[in-house]
Order: sequence, then C-alpha cells, then structure tokens
Amino acid sequence: MKQSTMLAMILAGGRGSRLHDLTKKVAKPAVSYGGKYRIVDFPLSNCANSGIDVVGVLTQYESILLNSYVAAGGRWGLDAKDSGVYVLPPREKADSNLDVYRGTADAISQNIDFIDSHSPEYLLILSGDHIYKMNYAKMLAYHKEHKADATIAVIEVPMDEASRFGIMNTDDEARIVEFEEKPANPKSNLASMGIYIFNWKLLRKLLLADIKNPDSNHDFGKDIIPTLLNDGKSLYAYKYKGYWKDVGTIDSLWEANMDLLNADNELDLNDPTWKIYTEDTTALPQYISADASVSRAFITQGCVVEGDVKNSILFTGVKVGPGAKIIDSVLMPGVVVEEGAVVERVLIADGVQIGKNAKVGSADSEHIELIAKRVKGAE
Amino acid sequence: MYKAFGIINSSGRNIHVDGLQDYRAIGAFSFLGRYRVIDFPISNMSNSEIDRIQVYVNSKPRSLIEHLGTGRHYNINSKSGRLEVLFSQSYDKNDFYNTDISSYLENMEYIERMHHPYVVIAPNYMIYAADFSKLIETHIESGADITLLYHAVDNAKEKFLNCNTLNLNRQKGVLSLERNHGNAKNRNIFMDTYIMRKELFVELVHKAKSTSSMYTLADIVKDECEEMDVRGVPHRGFFASITDFNSYYDANMSLIDYKAASDLFHEDWPIYTRTSNSCPTHYFDSSVINSSVISDGCVIEGTVENSIIGRGCVIKKGAVVKNSIVLASSEIGEGVHIENQVVDKHAKIVHVKEIVSPEGHPGYIKRKDTL
Repeated sequence: MKQSTMLAMILAGGRGSRLHDLTKKVAKPAVSYGGKYRIVDFPLSNCANSGIDVVGVLTQYESILLNSYVAAGGRWGLDAKDSGVYVLPPREKADSNLDVYRGTADAISQNIDFIDSHSPEYLLILSGDHIYKMNYAKMLAYHKEHKADATIAVIEVPMDEASRFGIMNTDDEARIVEFEEKPANPKSNLASMGIYIFNWKLLRKLLLADIKNPDSNHDFGKDIIPTLLNDGKSLYAYKYKGYWKDVGTIDSLWEANMDLLNADNELDLNDPTWKIYTEDTTALPQYISADASVSRAFITQGCVVEGDVKNSILFTGVKVGPGAKIIDSVLMPGVVVEEGAVVERVLIADGVQIGKNAKVGSADSEHIELIAKRVKGAE
Repeated sequence: MYKAFGIINSSGRNIHVDGLQDYRAIGAFSFLGRYRVIDFPISNMSNSEIDRIQVYVNSKPRSLIEHLGTGRHYNINSKSGRLEVLFSQSYDKNDFYNTDISSYLENMEYIERMHHPYVVIAPNYMIYAADFSKLIETHIESGADITLLYHAVDNAKEKFLNCNTLNLNRQKGVLSLERNHGNAKNRNIFMDTYIMRKELFVELVHKAKSTSSMYTLADIVKDECEEMDVRGVPHRGFFASITDFNSYYDANMSLIDYKAASDLFHEDWPIYTRTSNSCPTHYFDSSVINSSVISDGCVIEGTVENSIIGRGCVIKKGAVVKNSIVLASSEIGEGVHIENQVVDKHAKIVHVKEIVSPEGHPGYIKRKDTL
C-alpha cells in the first residue's frame, strides 16, 4: 500500500503508580484490559486501522514485557513492507550521554533521527495508556482542512470534573486561544486527550530549541503547546465523541472493564469495521461446566468455569472451580479461583491464585480491592 | 532435526460428510468451535519439528486455503519452513479415480524435490495429538520398512465403520489391513498415518498406480504386508475419525467434557489455529449456560445446554440451544428452540420456532440458510 505521510509516536513510558502492584513489573500500557487485550492494543490498533504504517513506541519504565509485546508488529498487521512498530527506549548516542526521557517532548526530541529517517510530513503523538477507538486519518484530514500547525484532540468532560484535565479554550472556529493545565476555574469543558498532530518540520524546530532550554520541563502540555500559542501559531481542537478512558486508578480500571457489560457500551469491541487486535494466544474455547452458572459476564478463550460468574470479566485462561462464586469482579489472565471460594467486588492481578473456600472482597467496600498476591485457602 | 517432511491428505477412500462437505473439504470443517480439523495434523507436525508440510487439496479448496493462509499461525519457521498447498489439477468426474495416489503422482515433482530422508503422512479428517518425532525415532530404531499408527478401540461394532483396521502379531508386526465391517468390538483402528523412507513412499505410489488406477496407499501397503516389515505403533489419548455426519457430530460432542478434552489438549502440545480477532463473549442477565464449549465473539442472551458454539454467534433472548453444534456467525433468534442440530456458518434461525431432531440422528441446517 502507498506509504502514509503521517508517522505515529506512542508515549508508553509511564509507570501509572496509582495502579499499585499491577504496574510493579509492567508499564501501564501493558496492563491487561477487556478480557484479552492490553491497553496499548488500542492506540496500536487505531494506528493500523487508520492506515498508519510506521509507529514508534517510546518505552522507559519496566519495559521488558512491553518491548517484546509491541515489537511483534504483525499482531496489528503492521508488518507489511515499509511498515513496522519500533520500540524506542532511551539509548546512548555518539554525541550525547545516555539520558532517560525527561518528559513527553524530550522523548520525541531524543528520537528526531528516527523520525527523520522516515521523513514524515505529519507527526501523530499518542498516549499509550488510553482506551478508545479513533480514526486518526479523519483527524489528519481535519488538520489539513484547517491548515493548522497543530491539532489537538479534545473530549467534552463534565464541567465539574474539568479542573482535573488540561483544558482547551477555543474560539467559534475551534481555534485554540488558550490552554490551561488543570485550571481551578475552567472556562470550557474541552479536555485534551493527549493526542496531537504536528507538522513535523515545525515541531522539529521547536524541539531543538526546547532541548537547550534549561527552564523547560520538556513536556508537550507544559512547554510545547504554550510556546506554539505564544508564537501565534494556528492550533485547532478536534472534537472527539465516543468512549475514552484514562484508567489511572484501580477503581477506574475496574470501572472501564465493567463498562463492557452494558448492552450498548460505546466502546463496542465487537465492531467488525474497527477491530482491536491483540496477541493471538493458543487457548481452548471457553468451557462452561454442567453445574456452572454465567450471567452478565464478559469471558474469553481459555477460561474454564465450573462455578458461578455474575457481573464480572474473566480474562484469558481464568479458572473458576466448582462452587466458587465470582461477583462484580475483574479477573486478569491466568487467575485461578479454587473450589468454594467467594470473590466479590475485587480486581485480581494476573496469575493470582485464590485458595479453596477463601473469601476476598466485600459487596459494600468503598473502593475496589486489588488482590495481587496469592490468597490461601480456608476450611 | 528435519529428518522428515509431512504430507497431509484427504482420504484415499471415498468418504463423505453430508451437508458440511458440500461447502468445504473435511480438513476445513469447523471443530470444537474455534478450530478446523486440519489444525490438528498440522499442529502435530509443527510441534514435532516438521516444518516442510504438503497439504493436498482436491475439491472445494476456498475455505481450506483461506484458513491455511501463509501458515504463519502454525508456528512454522518463516524462512526454512513452508506450508505448501498442492492441488489435484485433473480432478476426475468419476470419483473412483480421485485417489490419494493420483494426487501424489500429479505432484511427484514436489515430492521428489524434498531432501528429507523420511516422510510422515497424516490424514486431514482425523483428530488426535501425536508426537511424530518420537514415532520417527521408533521407526528408525525398529528397522521397519513402514510404521503405521493405530488406536485400539472397543466400540468398533458401531463406530469407525469407514476405517481400516490392522491385524497385528505379538510383536506389533502388521499381518494385514482390512476394512472394519463392524463384526467385532475390539479392533485396532488404523489412523491412516504412515512413516517410511521417502524413496519407499515414491516407489509404492508408482507401484499402486501400475497395479490399479483405483488403488490407494492403504491398498498397496496391504498388498506389501507379507513381503515388507510393516509395524504398528499404538496411539493413546483422544482419537476421532470424521468420516460421516454422525462421526463429525459425535467427535465434537465428546469433547464438551473438559476431562475428555484434557486427553487431546496438553499444555506442552499447543493446537494452533487462525485467529479471527474476535472480542470476548458477552453473556447477558438472561443467559443460562451449562455443559457447553463457547468460542469468542458471541453475544448470548438465551439458554445453551450441552452444545458447542462457534465464533461470533448470536443467541437471542428466550432461545434454547440443546445438544447442538452451532458454527461461526450464526444466529438463533428470539424464542427459537433447537435440539440435536448442526447449524452451519452464517445461518439464521428466526422464523421457525422449533427444530428438534431425535437423539442419535442430528439434523443439519445449511450454510447461510435463513429459516
């Protein structure tokens, strides 16, 4: 296929420390979601579905799993000629010292040589830890139509929550006039989604200046966007409508999973025209035994259910023993719940075993409990 | 190791599975929801470090070709390995002439080209797991000319009626091959799986042709039994042969029991298949599921009992699916009750509210049919 003029860079270096033990050994973009996915499958699949050929993934924190995961570009169909997913951790270069990525903009700055080697006209910056479906080709068309220097995707958030986000204030033509990071008194409810399209030549210039600026945080939100606005460049807000979730906490990760149980959930993972691709695991189909009961659940291959599952999400290879009860819970890949155990309103981390007759979680807990360690059985 | 290359072929005999086979070769039949029958022999070879595999196709190749693709999903080395699809160009109108031998003869150039000293031949209509690398070792150590894989059964009176059986002496030497006529309970069912040197294989193919145009590989091996050292090796674990509609239904249904399935699927013996990138299956408040095997991508609001559901099926509210096999992308409409059925792909049952066949005589609903 013809080469795309836009190259995508996915920022996937963050730890996501509010996810506690879930991100102890893996970066947030590699966290499991929705039964069989990892969060980073969303931006990667969006890129593939939007006709983008080359994607750089900027990794830093606990990157072993993430590196090997995203490097197999074939999973998302990004393995045609002149296509690929490139893993870009910080590296030592001939003319500078090895340096960690000091900020989102710095991560791009340190890879100017990589981007140049593909000579794109436009650069798409994405975050590796958001769950949503978006056609970036449409956003690029919008960017071109407005002859913008930069376009930022925004989503309307409830006004009372706007102070938690980076807010874009726009004029009637959707041109951005002001950007405020987490404003105490927000003037609009258009939150930045951390998705930017830049004209590469212009951004390149700005990044080279930013590297040398000792006062800079080397951050898109804090430094690059304000500089562009100060310089009077034309920045446009691209309004996105649909499901979008930044899962920062155990509660919100649990909730984002639970959203999938709604009949008319906006994310619609079953849409054949916009599939989310992921690792192809070798697993049996789901086995539901004679005494099992399953209602209001999202279950994937490799699961064996011999107990009761209600209002819950079971990821690849979860085993639920006879008489066990799973209620309002999210069970990540490989979780084993033994005979008679009761699991309620919890999120269980990958591979954790819940022993015979054990009881975890409770129906009226304020927060969702994360179970990250083996729970011993009880008599 | 690369001692052997693999051949996967359809039956030399004329077997026919009513309904399903009108649309595709048996190898391309959906199996246990997410697999195709041919995934089993190919995975066996791939897991046995056989990565040059010839798949012979004669009629209705579309479905099989689509499923095999480049063969990447079978974990075969992408440079040194290859999954080769070979056609029988001169597919004869008279089915008697379309033997396995005729397809080998037509593609003899590609068999001759293989530099491997041994060949493993496995059928595309049988389901089992077997380590061929161990079999090759056994074959070499025994010094036999031909090694045949068999499965000892105690229900040969009513099952495996289209299969060959092996008569063995105490040392597992094959005395003769004969058709299972259903006159004895205990039989050694021949699994149509052979190991021999490539040269001998080529020689036998030519000999079969010069003996009779209707001869199959099994026929010529049968003739040679007395002269040559032909040995049987017993197979243990799950074994099913899909040679007619009932055996297809039974083979699937027998794996609904997880313990039975553990006899076929092993942690260290993955069965590969093509992914369809479906999302997990969504069960609703009203769903009632038991004793069933369900694939991904389904939306289930109704009742599923003792059944196998393929990928991307929709089971609407109030629908009851019992003792049935529903192939991918089918829809069972609101309040529809089906029992003892095989529902082929993309079928929609919405207007007819009850389709029940007697136990032991499963019904068949055509591909893409709307009822």
